[in-house]
Amino acid sequence: MYDPLQLSLKVAASGLEAQGHRVRVVSENLANHDSTGNTPGAVPYTRKTISFKTALDHAAQANLVHVDQIGHDNSPYPLEFNPSHPAADAKGYVKRPNVNMLVELADMREANRSYEANLQVIKQARELISLTIDLLRSN
Amino acid sequence: MHSLYLFNIASQHNNWLSTRQTLLASNIANANTPGYKSVDLQPFEKALESAKLQMAATEVGHLKTDPTSAMTDTTAGRSASWEIYHSGNNVSLEQELMKTGEVSRAYTLNTNIMKSFHRMLAMTAKGG
Repeated sequence: MYDPLQLSLKVAASGLEAQGHRVRVVSENLANHDSTGNTPGAVPYTRKTISFKTALDHAAQANLVHVDQIGHDNSPYPLEFNPSHPAADAKGYVKRPNVNMLVELADMREANRSYEANLQVIKQARELISLTIDLLRSN
Repeated sequence: MHSLYLFNIASQHNNWLSTRQTLLASNIANANTPGYKSVDLQPFEKALESAKLQMAATEVGHLKTDPTSAMTDTTAGRSASWEIYHSGNNVSLEQELMKTGEVSRAYTLNTNIMKSFHRMLAMTAKGG
């Protein structure tokens, strides 16, 4: 049987880890915003997606969160007319990565907000633990 | 000694509060999990009422009841949430953080009451 307060630290830590992975995926997408291929008609960078799932920790009876899978966004690649580009096809069109910067930045904001909420939980659980320990302090 | 019952009830309340804190932590951790529904404990008064004395199992066939199970019953209900997302998730971070604030406040109150009550007892024992 776990101590519930320590368990909440564990749960919040799993949330931090999941959101950390999310920020990593967002940063990969943003960094590869301009990664086209370099052979004619080549497929550019494909946007990565991430999803979470609830994982029940049976020993502790708590709902942790884990990264479910890192998938690929299969929306079409936008085309850009640029015949001088090494990845241009016969008609002069270049396939660009299907990364939308606005979507990525919004996703990053949301990850940030969730990360902060988890940090707040950790802070609060620590406060509760130290309140309990302070009962021992002679005054 | 009826008055000493206070320690018991305060520690029971703290126990309930820490379990609630764990549930709120899992709600917040799963704030972006598709299909996750937020959970909460039933109110402390109710948990206290439903906590019964345990009967001794004197025969093999006797069922065991756990008096603390009502305190940590996590299936006690889906909480009424402020919002629901398209992904089927109904965790509202604001609401959950507000609840953790409630937990923290009640916990502080409990420990402070216990502390001052203990000081009173110690003072009585010392005899001034």
